[in-house]
Amino acid sequence: MIETTAPNALRTAATARGLTKTYGVGTHAEVHALRGVDLDLPAGRFTAIMGPSGSGKSTLMHCLAGLDQPTPGTVEVAGVTLESLDDTALTKFRRDHVGFVFQSFNLLPMLTAGQNILLPLELAGRKVGREERARFEMVVDVLGLADRTGHLPSQLSGGQQQRVAIARALVAQPAIVFADEPTGNLDSTASAEVLDFLRHSVRELGQTVVMVTHELDAAAYADDVLVIADGAIRTHLTTPTRDELVAALRHRAA
Amino acid sequence: MRTVLLASMRRHTRRYVAASLAVVIGVTFIIVTNALSSAARDGLTSGLDAPFAHADVVVSGIDGPDAARLLDRAEKEGASASVLGWAWLSVSRDGTEITDGADVGALPRDNAMRWQELVDGRFPSTDHEAVVDANAAKANDVGIGDTLTIGTGKQALDVKVVGSVDSPSSMVWSAVYLTQDAQDRWLDQSMINSVAWNGAGSADEQIRALESAYPDATVQTTDDFVADQQKAATNGVDVIAFILLLFAAIAIGTSVMVIANTFSILFAQRTRDFALLRCVGATRRQVLRSIRLEALALGVVSALVGLVAGAGLGLGLVALIRDLAPSARLGEASFSPVWFAGAFLVGTAVTVMASWLPTRRVTRVSPLAALRPDTGVDVRTTAGRLRIGFGILVVAAGVLAMAAAIAGAAVPLMVVGGGTTFFGVVLLGPTIVPALIRVAGSLTARVMGPPGRLATSNAVRNPRRTAATTASLLVGVTLTTAVLTGLASGRSIIDDEMATDHPLDATVSATTGAGLAPEVLTGVRDLPAVESAVEVPGTVGTLDRGIGRMRVVAPGPDAAGLMRSTPDFAAPRAGEIYLPIDALENGNVPRTVTVTVGERTETLRVNAGEDWGNVAVVAPQTLAGLDAAPSTQAIWVRADLDTDAEDFSGDLSAVAAASDADVVSTLGKWAFVDLQLDVMTGAIVGLLGIAVVIALIGIANTLGLSVLERGRENALLRALGLTRRQLRATLATEAVLLSVVATLLGTTLGIGFAWVGVQTMLAKYVENASMTLPLGQLAIVVLVSAAAGLLACVLPARRAARVTPAAGLTME
Repeated sequence: MIETTAPNALRTAATARGLTKTYGVGTHAEVHALRGVDLDLPAGRFTAIMGPSGSGKSTLMHCLAGLDQPTPGTVEVAGVTLESLDDTALTKFRRDHVGFVFQSFNLLPMLTAGQNILLPLELAGRKVGREERARFEMVVDVLGLADRTGHLPSQLSGGQQQRVAIARALVAQPAIVFADEPTGNLDSTASAEVLDFLRHSVRELGQTVVMVTHELDAAAYADDVLVIADGAIRTHLTTPTRDELVAALRHRAA
Repeated sequence: MRTVLLASMRRHTRRYVAASLAVVIGVTFIIVTNALSSAARDGLTSGLDAPFAHADVVVSGIDGPDAARLLDRAEKEGASASVLGWAWLSVSRDGTEITDGADVGALPRDNAMRWQELVDGRFPSTDHEAVVDANAAKANDVGIGDTLTIGTGKQALDVKVVGSVDSPSSMVWSAVYLTQDAQDRWLDQSMINSVAWNGAGSADEQIRALESAYPDATVQTTDDFVADQQKAATNGVDVIAFILLLFAAIAIGTSVMVIANTFSILFAQRTRDFALLRCVGATRRQVLRSIRLEALALGVVSALVGLVAGAGLGLGLVALIRDLAPSARLGEASFSPVWFAGAFLVGTAVTVMASWLPTRRVTRVSPLAALRPDTGVDVRTTAGRLRIGFGILVVAAGVLAMAAAIAGAAVPLMVVGGGTTFFGVVLLGPTIVPALIRVAGSLTARVMGPPGRLATSNAVRNPRRTAATTASLLVGVTLTTAVLTGLASGRSIIDDEMATDHPLDATVSATTGAGLAPEVLTGVRDLPAVESAVEVPGTVGTLDRGIGRMRVVAPGPDAAGLMRSTPDFAAPRAGEIYLPIDALENGNVPRTVTVTVGERTETLRVNAGEDWGNVAVVAPQTLAGLDAAPSTQAIWVRADLDTDAEDFSGDLSAVAAASDADVVSTLGKWAFVDLQLDVMTGAIVGLLGIAVVIALIGIANTLGLSVLERGRENALLRALGLTRRQLRATLATEAVLLSVVATLLGTTLGIGFAWVGVQTMLAKYVENASMTLPLGQLAIVVLVSAAAGLLACVLPARRAARVTPAAGLTME
């Protein structure tokens, strides 16, 4: 199922309103990871969330993906308000509509690459029929993993492992894919490869991808870049050049 | 290093809980054994001297007739003698049997020598009065004023209960005490412990006189004899204490496995910490010392907790038994410093020993390991080829030893062979157990879906850990299964023997009148417990040899058909007669007896026996020669053996009462044998259960530690769409897979060992010693361990499911 129509920039894949996340209790012990973030993530685009460590970008992503509950605030993903879901419903929502790529510990060590890719379908109890098989073949082919599906994660290089993780995130055709520092553990060649594939999945497959990163090079692949600092969004850039990015980050640092 | 040691102990306390629990249980077991055995010893030895308080010398090693002669001698010499012995006799009240065997002893003739202590009522003043032991009376609901019939047949005696007594001595107590003159009639068949003697002259003179009169007997001063008795009682307790310690050893062996496994998992998780320590300058020795001190501290603390728990539990248990079962004769529990020191040392040593191998492995880690990128804990270990080869060799050696043991009926060799085989299987565990789990897992995956598949992968990902976890459970299950199967096989052999000894379940025999009324037969047949009943024709004859009037019956082929075996009396040959042993004077069997019925007489060869009631049994043609028109004189019954023996006797007696008939039932004897086997099975399984509990704590522990280790993986799975319920199901399935596979393997091994045991130990007593599988019990073992596996995963699963995916993913 390849979407051939151009991605509709007006559609939003995820919306956040007044998103706040506070850890700890008491005026001195409280840590504000997010301070009232309002956000619309357009569908069919590659969005990067940038910021230094401790800026709240991972927390933002966790809240958007339904992995964590905001203290106050609402999140709507694929037309569903996440606050209204209990844990089980949230889990089911995740496996049907959200894909994940993490920095490390991405794959289950005891499953082969192929099994890892099909895991979301299996967890959702979906039969791997002709359609799913075709999607699997296509994704595996696009990511250059065709001859690697029988290998265990320990037999794959870091870049290959991350590509398997991307394949797994794409195979269930989620409404949105979240990638948390996907290149954090990779060398520059493998990083470029992985980012290429992510952009490719947006351009060619019509996916919506949200990537959290602190690397300028990685952010340069994105269509939109959000710069976050101290739990709030500071800048929103569209297809920025490298200089614009540097300027935005400098501005934040100043 | 001390800062590191203290910090790491603080940090890892919770992870040590299970290992510590295993040590605590083992130490507790030892201390409880101390409490029980000291209480038993106290109960058995206190009061042993009471019966001999007024005696100068004691004669032992004699039989009933000797005791009778001693009583006569005492009468002649003006000495006092007290017989400490008892006859095993049935006791009934109002025609209903209370018990088919109770100790019936005597009160000394000389009141000064009386050692029983009156609790209620008074001592007998005539030979038709008796006192009963207060505990035995309470257990059988016998009260003062009851009239008891002691014994059966010609010698039966009716006595009125006039008092209840305490019997201070555990070695010579009886349930019923008659006067010496009343007990005399059974003196010949009594078990004699000793005769307390108080005559004229010094003790030495009396000893010399008695020794010359009874050269075969042992004559001692009272002090010497009491000392011997005390030793005998103590030896009995020591044997029981030894057996209990054997089970404690099994429990502690299981603990060693659990502790060793805990340490190896914990150390594997801490490899990076250790490597980091090495990087910042700790020597290998320092790291080793630090973790060995950790193990030592754990051992000391757990052993101390075990001592306290054991003392509390032991005192409580002794108090409970004394309250619930006064006839168990437990005394005061007392703790000995030797036992305490021993238990403490065992607990500590076991912990240190169990940590030895894992600590060695851990310190081989190079400091570089800390500098490598975090790839998580590498848990993939596999059994080397060397190990597999060695394991196969060990199993082969064990099997050979067991084969040799069967051939030579050598029990020690069998034990060695069994132990060796088991060790070999444990060595092969990392290969066998994961393979079995994969097979079982393919089934669960089909039923459970993704959680089943994930559980199987998790269960086999670290073969050595999986094998070590299941090995501890394997010990308990193998032994339990072997004992259950062995006892079931033994039971079937005993049942065969019982069927030979007691072929007839029950008889109803006429005592007065012409014969049994027809309604007795219909009444008997209507009893639910009666499987079949046949009439036995007979007549009333007069027998010589002092027997007098007796029913003479001739069972037909239908009577032989309902018996459990084919005894001689089922089909007497012409010219033979079977007489009940009770009817014969002094139990002497004459060669022949003459039977007279009216004008006709027959002289028949005598065989003696019991269990067919108070009638004589002859062949049909013999009966035809005595009486042309015989009538129904007896009904022979086959009953359901699972029926309550006393209820059955009561029902049968009620039916028989209409025709004034006598009832004899052997169901009580079956029930007695069954009870002994049940008690033995229960006791052994209960004691092995402690080892199984320790093993299950081990499984829970492994799962708990694995859950900690797999925190990120579980979070990833949750992020990818595994619901909380599915995550819990995954862990539950893993636990059940582990426990069920260990149980099935253990059951198989146990059945094999039981077969070897039956062939080695029983084959020499019975031909074709076959094995009986107690399928119901074995199924319960599997179910219980599956349920216990589920129980073991409750806490780890809850902890794993509580973690939110986001928290899990950022976990260190």
